[in-house]
Amino acid sequence: MPFFSARSGNMGHKKLRRVGLSQELCDRLSRYQIATCQDFLSLSPLELMKMTGLSYGGVQELLRTISRACAPQMQTAYEIKTRRSADFSPAFLSTTLSALDETLHGGVACGSLTEITGPPGCGKTQFCIMMSVLATLPVNMGGLEGAVVYIDTESAFTAKRLVEMAESRFPRYFNTEEKLLLTSSKVHLYRELTCDEVLQRIESLEEEIISKGVKLVIIDSIASVVRKEFDMQLQGNIKERNKFLAKEASLLKYLAEEFSIPVILTNQITTHLSGALPSQTDLVSPADDLSLSEAIVMKNEPTLKRQASSKMTVDGIGTRTRDNLSKAIGTSGSSCVVAALGNTWSHSVNTRLILRYLDSDRRQILVGKSPLAPFTSFVYTIKEEGLVLQANRGHRDTVTFV
Amino acid sequence: MQRDLASFSLSPAIRVKLVSAGFQTAEDLMEVKPCELSREVGISREEALETLQIIRRDCLTHKPKYAGTSESGKKYTALELLEQEHTQGFIITFCSALDNILGGGIPLMKTTEICGVPGVGKTQLCLQLAVDVQIPECFGGVAGEAVFIDTEGSFMVDRVVDLATACIQHLHLIAGTDKEEEHQKALEDFTLENILSHIYYFRCHDYTELLAQVYLLPDFLSDHSKVRLVIIDSIAFPFRHDLDDLSLRTRLLNGLAQQMISLANNHRLAVILTNQMTTKIDKNQALLVPALGESWGHAATIRLIFHWEQKQRCAVLYKSPSQKESTILFQITPQGFRDAVATAASSQTIDSLNFRKRSREPEEES
Repeated sequence: MPFFSARSGNMGHKKLRRVGLSQELCDRLSRYQIATCQDFLSLSPLELMKMTGLSYGGVQELLRTISRACAPQMQTAYEIKTRRSADFSPAFLSTTLSALDETLHGGVACGSLTEITGPPGCGKTQFCIMMSVLATLPVNMGGLEGAVVYIDTESAFTAKRLVEMAESRFPRYFNTEEKLLLTSSKVHLYRELTCDEVLQRIESLEEEIISKGVKLVIIDSIASVVRKEFDMQLQGNIKERNKFLAKEASLLKYLAEEFSIPVILTNQITTHLSGALPSQTDLVSPADDLSLSEAIVMKNEPTLKRQASSKMTVDGIGTRTRDNLSKAIGTSGSSCVVAALGNTWSHSVNTRLILRYLDSDRRQILVGKSPLAPFTSFVYTIKEEGLVLQANRGHRDTVTFV
Repeated sequence: MQRDLASFSLSPAIRVKLVSAGFQTAEDLMEVKPCELSREVGISREEALETLQIIRRDCLTHKPKYAGTSESGKKYTALELLEQEHTQGFIITFCSALDNILGGGIPLMKTTEICGVPGVGKTQLCLQLAVDVQIPECFGGVAGEAVFIDTEGSFMVDRVVDLATACIQHLHLIAGTDKEEEHQKALEDFTLENILSHIYYFRCHDYTELLAQVYLLPDFLSDHSKVRLVIIDSIAFPFRHDLDDLSLRTRLLNGLAQQMISLANNHRLAVILTNQMTTKIDKNQALLVPALGESWGHAATIRLIFHWEQKQRCAVLYKSPSQKESTILFQITPQGFRDAVATAASSQTIDSLNFRKRSREPEEES
């Protein structure tokens, strides 16, 4: 059983003693095991009257005092905006893929969770390594001039690739070995292989971020440890898995917001084969059903169809059959490919970027879920310097289809 | 006068002492002085005074006084309610189809719940409403302010700027064609800075902070009497992972729902709660249903469910006391929440959705 720590950096766990209650009152309450604000606010007024010995009016007053101690501060939207403009730290980390940056209003958003998902080998780890380099660059080059925490659960990260990418992408900047060493020393790699270890690592991150000046957190990948340890065939496991994921998401969101840094997570994809549960439940949006988006490409570039279908091989995760492509519009009963980890996880990430294959060379990056951007796709390839966009403008899907 | 002491809001310890000293009803206490009471019962003078004040106040007004609500238990005739409902405002959404099925827009004095899968547009609608609530009265708005309680971190200021800018442009267009003086004057105050300044934002990281914030809302609303909209986005998130005790969760949620209803009534505002969807396994079929359980379905007065139908975004009015169940299409544009562009395919989708015999489960039928 994974160990869930109670601490998550919020006000609910403030001890009542620190709120200004009299010692006598605190002692009375502790006899009923009421020690924190959370315990207090979870009770009904009648129970509180019994425990504190106060009148109803007295209890209401006490509730307001305790609420004031743990309620959040109010800001107006205008204050948020002006503070952001005045802030020296940027609101986005540019990906240097200019068309993608433009769609996303700047790049990967600071202060929120961005997920990259796609079939194996499509470029998720490459993207993460590229972002690691970018985060260490000085601000005038579009970076965040900070350290990177890279939590690697698949042992996919290689320092050699990091250096190669840095040199190829910014040859003029990384012209001395010293600069390369500096960048490499700023990327802190952690190899964690179980859910427990990942969670413990995330919990320790707050101190790491402060001490090392971390400006980007990457977890590659969230899905692999979860899918290893939680067998979805067993009944109770869905709930356990979702609880674990929600815990992780909430911790990561807190870190992202508290320090205004971007958090990048990679996910895998899963296939629903026909015959199994014909569920719409994992299709959180049309962009998520990768075979549906295939239909868009087919409409505009029919010549690709044959190449795409012949390229797909049965490969474990990421299976796509030829039947799928022709049945792409109808979603019931056919196989479809979706991001893994389920519906509840999809609620937790703020932005979702989906990668997929077009043919042996070219791939596509699709903005699946974003509070700022519509569904847009861009074609890219992977070169020495990392990801490189092909066309200049993204192909935007209109919402209505004939 | 014969009212039993147990029905007053006295602290239990004092009540016990009063009873054991022989005081049973309010009448017994009416003639007693504080010092006398304190000696006889064995409580301090201050406590005796407080007790007598509570008794006298409650007896004189014949109405139980609870801190916080001053208008609970009001009586109305249906005619008075009808008049009130006619003048009651709506907050428009800029999607005329949605406004139509709702009877004019999001109604004030009621709680509305918006459920939907991630990414379908719940937060977008909330942001849109936070701007729309501020539309001046001469344009058909309620000229109010908004409170946004964010539990997921999905509030993006840049998006609000986009929506507000589009709304200002839209109103300028209307004023340009109408050329009425009061329109021009109202628009002077309807600036980006003002719109943003009247959205009050609270970020709650867990359910304790949410509970605390809701306890403090009545005071906040009394200080900011122009608030006409309270949004909690989402109410599901903090209750879905931190709480193991389901009965505690149900109790807390019910308490919250009641507080929101009373806020909506007492302060004349609309309350919007967003909910998530969860998977329910039912007879080997996986269905998407609103989260937070069956009993939560009773909490909100009006329930909207957003989902995808093929590639269209649909809104279903699932529960409403005065409007009938219907489905409409909408879209999210860079300017915000809008009507869907009508095409042959989309009107076909709408007809089929509305004709289909609707079972009571809000999942997508294939």
